[in-house]
Amino acid sequence: MKPASFDYYRPSSVSGAVQALADSPFAKVLAGGQSLIPAMNFRLATPPMLVDIARLEDLHGVEVDEHEVTIGAGVTQRHVEMSTRVAEVMPALAEALRWVGHIQTRNRGTVCGSLAHADPSGELPALAINTDADLTVEGPNGIREVPAPDFIRGPFWTDLRPGELITSIRFPVAPRGTTTRVAEIAHRSGDFATVGLVASLTRDGRTIRRARLCGFAVAGTPIRLRSVEGLLPGVEQLDETAGRTLADAAAADLEDPVGDIHATGQYRREALAALVVRTVRSMLEDPQREAS
Amino acid sequence: MAVEEIPQISPIIRHRTSHLGRAVPRREDRSALLGQSQYVADIRLPGMVEVAFVRSGEPHALIRSIDTSPAEQIEGVVKVVTAHDLDGVEQFPHFIEYNQPVDQFPLARDRVRYVGSPYAAVVAMDRYVAEDAVNLVAAATDFEPLPTVTTIDQALAEDAPLLYEGWPDNRLTTALIENPAVDRAFEEADHTFSETYTSQRQTGLPIETRGVVAALREGQLTVWTSNQSPHIARTTIALVLGVPEPEVRVIAPAMGGGFGPKCHVYPEEIVVPWLAMTLNRPVRWVEDRAEHLVSSVHARDQRHDVEIAYDDDGTIRGIRVHSIGNVGSGEIFMPGTAPTFVTGGSISGAYELPNIEIQTTCVVTNKTPSGAYRGFGIPEAALVRERIIDRVALLTGVDRVELRRRLVLREDQLPFRMPAGGIVDSGSHARSFERGLEMAEPLLTDARERYADDPDVRVGIGYANYVEPTAPTYHLTTGFWAGYDSATLRVDGDGKARVSLGLAAIGQGAETTAASVVAEALSLQPSDVTVVMGDTERSPYGLGAWGSRGAIVMSGSILMAADRLLEKARRIAAHMLEAGDEDIVQDVVLRDGFFFVEEDPDQRVGWPEVATAAWARTVDLPEGMEPGLESSGYYDPSDLEHTADEAGRLNAAATWANGTHIAIVSVRLSTGEIKIEDYVVVHDCGRMLHPGLVEGQVHGGVAQGIAGSLYEHLQYDSDTARPQFASFLEYLVPTCAEIPKLTLDHFESYAPHMPLGVKGAGEGGTIGGPAAITGAVSDALAEFGVFVTATPITPVTIRAALRPTGSGEAS
Repeated sequence: MKPASFDYYRPSSVSGAVQALADSPFAKVLAGGQSLIPAMNFRLATPPMLVDIARLEDLHGVEVDEHEVTIGAGVTQRHVEMSTRVAEVMPALAEALRWVGHIQTRNRGTVCGSLAHADPSGELPALAINTDADLTVEGPNGIREVPAPDFIRGPFWTDLRPGELITSIRFPVAPRGTTTRVAEIAHRSGDFATVGLVASLTRDGRTIRRARLCGFAVAGTPIRLRSVEGLLPGVEQLDETAGRTLADAAAADLEDPVGDIHATGQYRREALAALVVRTVRSMLEDPQREAS
Repeated sequence: MAVEEIPQISPIIRHRTSHLGRAVPRREDRSALLGQSQYVADIRLPGMVEVAFVRSGEPHALIRSIDTSPAEQIEGVVKVVTAHDLDGVEQFPHFIEYNQPVDQFPLARDRVRYVGSPYAAVVAMDRYVAEDAVNLVAAATDFEPLPTVTTIDQALAEDAPLLYEGWPDNRLTTALIENPAVDRAFEEADHTFSETYTSQRQTGLPIETRGVVAALREGQLTVWTSNQSPHIARTTIALVLGVPEPEVRVIAPAMGGGFGPKCHVYPEEIVVPWLAMTLNRPVRWVEDRAEHLVSSVHARDQRHDVEIAYDDDGTIRGIRVHSIGNVGSGEIFMPGTAPTFVTGGSISGAYELPNIEIQTTCVVTNKTPSGAYRGFGIPEAALVRERIIDRVALLTGVDRVELRRRLVLREDQLPFRMPAGGIVDSGSHARSFERGLEMAEPLLTDARERYADDPDVRVGIGYANYVEPTAPTYHLTTGFWAGYDSATLRVDGDGKARVSLGLAAIGQGAETTAASVVAEALSLQPSDVTVVMGDTERSPYGLGAWGSRGAIVMSGSILMAADRLLEKARRIAAHMLEAGDEDIVQDVVLRDGFFFVEEDPDQRVGWPEVATAAWARTVDLPEGMEPGLESSGYYDPSDLEHTADEAGRLNAAATWANGTHIAIVSVRLSTGEIKIEDYVVVHDCGRMLHPGLVEGQVHGGVAQGIAGSLYEHLQYDSDTARPQFASFLEYLVPTCAEIPKLTLDHFESYAPHMPLGVKGAGEGGTIGGPAAITGAVSDALAEFGVFVTATPITPVTIRAALRPTGSGEAS
């Protein structure tokens, strides 16, 4: 479990990083390294060069205003999780981050790194898709913006082109009255999810006005549960019949669940349906969280 | 050994307080907690080079050729060796007559039989370069793949590919303990029922992986290895390397856990020393976790085909069990067959179930060799037994607890001869069960109340009553060694004692308890006692740490040595007290480290004076007495049998601990999530030398039992025999978040024939988990007709069981 030999380069600017990536097409960007370094130790990844962006000041910003939260590529997950400013305008981020890895890995792992890694069981790609976040990407041909749903292409597969790196991610602030909940089923506490859900409900009083739900760890990418979202507006509480209808909708939304050694596809479909009902029901029953 | 010869504390000692039975701080902890313990990986020698092994990526293949030259070209590579380069190296010995012979060389020759099999080794300046070279050797190996065998059914199929030429089939061993009473029982019983229970492949997983450092020092080959049996490792290394045993020294330094896998002697323990001799420089190999998962032995991969004969009133008339162990490729010393035999021998557990027919088969497959893991076949037996009882309860409508009450051993039945030959000498079987029920009742009520309002959750309870064979024979396991262990005890001129043990310290606290036993035996303080273990040059030959034997064999050998040493010390003391004639010697007693005649306690001599006379001021010795104050004891448990009788029965353990485990679980129907709400243990290991260590053993054991019930599973692709695990992403080890707080109580049924009345405590904690938890989950889901027959139980298996049949996809 030792990595193959590689070059290490620490550029002094973002353009320097872009140049280095352009010069060495198989180079990898190193930010927090919490997924990349283990992969290198197993020699699943053998990049000839690492371009370390962790210390680039330009990428360390967290900008918060009433419309959006912008997080630079060098910002750690733990930093965002602990930020009171972020918590005020976008509590969903802290809620999601609590589920990411463990405190020790969040101390090093970055928010943008989770997006670049595109692990199907990752919470942050799901949150980004659920909230229509935008990524800013810089490369040899300049800067471009990519909506998260387009950025995540498949398992461990993103829209990043050779020589590009993520410089920041921008989360739009959810409408007033929105609550977001992350729920997971995992074999062990703190484990990678076997089945995961990000659920955002925007309520007016007790009534759901807008619903955004995204299942993760159930397919190659996070999946927006569009039928579920269509059923929820107008709902105040979930009785047994409504719960069943919702579960059926969730199961239908997950067309092609993945099976692996931890769970069959059929399990994932059933458990996601149960998780949707359980989570929505619990959110409706929890008035304390309505304000956030 | 007659009862009166059982080693005990000498009657001449007049204690005011005892050092036994007290949870004193572990003397091992300080250095471990400060990071000062020296493990194999901490050993650095001048000029030391690193070894990495080239392991087969093929489950079953012929090796057509290996081109080592690309690897040899890399800067920093010292040497690359394959099997045919190992001049003078023998294959591992065949000691077990009842097994088919497995010709195992330290590096696989011409054929590999599992993913992870070492077939070449690279020596390099560091591990990074070594791994670069390993990849090149692997890429330059030309394999001819062979058909694979993964499952028991595949291994036993008529047209199965054979792993070993010259064998008639893939059976490594097979045995049947016939019992004509069983045939009668099946004829006479009201009903019969057949079912199959399975236990999945797991591994012991010590936190410290294996590791070997070897160096030639002044003509002696010194091998540091993380091995639970340093002397057995030394004997084996000498045999396989063809080196005289005195020229080999084995040191097992601080050890980060053993749990069974480190009982075996592995290829690396031969190849690394061979490289050190050949290169004449220190060589080191430290196993990484990815290697560990495929190269250290696995365990518990068993299937049990069971037939039960029972009556309408719940009477279990007879049981036939065919236990089949999937022991992987079988290329391991000592072979992995013994646990499956122990399973057969342990089926009846703490119950009166006389009519059992046991058939045992071990098959070879293209998986990692299996071997020892804490529990050694007994947790699997408990699973089978408790499932049988729950099944009969379900079939007859007799209450599960009532059925167990009828069967559990009562004190008036002891000693009790088990159908497989074990003689349960003592215990609190029925009492432990009743105590466990009493402890569990309020917990069950609370758990039910917690979920009373949640229609998605069901709560259940499950039971296990076991006996734990402790200080067992090693002859069944090794075909060579048997059951004794040893102690050499010395009191130096300063009056402090030093004891050297054949046992090894593996984290179990043996140093602490040995010091307490020596202090008790010589009327010293534990802090006056130095304990030496794990070095074949400094400790007497002994068999090491396994089989929950430490407390028994250590106490026995220390007490025998102490008795001899005290006899001499007393004569010296009598002489110094000018009480030299024989009659008065018999009146000399020992209290708080001082010898005196009871009528005259003011006139006394202490250990320092006595020992100084023995070692230095020998003019103070009685005339003609040999100087020195050192003695040895070799304790061989007397009731222990090493070979079976004609019917296949033997009393395979020196004494039998017992216990009750009761699990209370909740299961969420919609997602299959399982939570252990409470876990009750009543534990009886005879006299407790150190209650804190006993509780630690129970806690750790229960954690491993839960791990095996719900989490840990070494999965293989059944079509290709390829492992589906490479790390802890796939092999799910529970954390403290998954292990509930135990509700624990103890009984102390002293072992009548053991030193100090002790029994072993190392494995009991692991035994009851799978049995109690499968019972509890089945109880929780009884209304849905779910009866769990296999571990691990996961949310996925729960959901599959709850689905109407026919709607499920293949898992």
